Amino acid sequence: MIEEHLVRAAQRGDTVAMNGVLDALTPYVGKICGPIALNDGPDAAQEALIAIFRGLHGLQEPAALFGWARAIAVREAVRVARRGQRQRPAELTDLPAADDPQLAIDVQDVLRRLSPEHRAVLVLRDLEGMDEQAAAAVLDVPSGTAKSRLHRARASFRKAWSS
Amino acid sequence: MNWPQAELTDVERFRALAAGVPGAAVTERVLPQEPDRVQAMLADLDVFATIQADLVSATLEERDGDRVVVRAKGARGQRARLVGQLRPGWCWLQSRFLIIGMAVAAEPGGGTRVALTGGIRVPGRAAIIPIRVRQESSKTLDRLQKLLRDRGE
Repeated sequence: MIEEHLVRAAQRGDTVAMNGVLDALTPYVGKICGPIALNDGPDAAQEALIAIFRGLHGLQEPAALFGWARAIAVREAVRVARRGQRQRPAELTDLPAADDPQLAIDVQDVLRRLSPEHRAVLVLRDLEGMDEQAAAAVLDVPSGTAKSRLHRARASFRKAWSS
Repeated sequence: MNWPQAELTDVERFRALAAGVPGAAVTERVLPQEPDRVQAMLADLDVFATIQADLVSATLEERDGDRVVVRAKGARGQRARLVGQLRPGWCWLQSRFLIIGMAVAAEPGGGTRVALTGGIRVPGRAAIIPIRVRQESSKTLDRLQKLLRDRGE
């Protein structure tokens, strides 16, 4: 993670501290943007980091840096992926659990069949371990919407391996 | 679970950092030389002083991993104590009155992308006075290109 004093120094205008924040955030932002934006992941991560550094001085609570950055990364990844989207999402049906061994296989091909919004909810629930309510808040949708997206996303994993 | 991870080049990271520094316009150029060669040249502080406008020398004073303190001397006798990060392909240094940044990445299809920014810092702040930032970066790239050619095959 990152020390709070480094974030505060970056917010006060110390650009070397900003460089430290960049080092700490880059892998995390890449981890969020990769599964959502797929081939557009580097573009999404760059856009997310640009938004993060433009807005860093306005972050109220330095301890919340990663949660704040996560919300920006998800938003930018969905936006960039939608912009670059070439494929339509798959038909969707039933629901394996998060620890279903089917999910422990190479996920890239299956992710590709989902919409960016479905990938975003999968990342927040299964990669970040957030509950539905928190995931819904990040995605700025009602929790029922997040729940149904997750249901459909997981269902498409099952469908992909059984087809 | 092997979730795909997005990997950024140093130039992509550099654009993000510069975006947080008002006035830090980034100038980029693709050079034909291989990244290793460009990186090695930019890691040499004598080269650093040669290509940066207004610097006559730059001396490494401290190093702790990639964290450095560099003493720089200007053409009109002014001195700067630059602190920051210096490693192959990446340089971000600041003093109270200066910010200097450089990043290098392999260009898909061959060659090396070099990105620069820098200039007079608004004292103590994350901002560069937006005067001639692009022009100076462009001249720095011209000097780097000439050095690479002169020391080339």
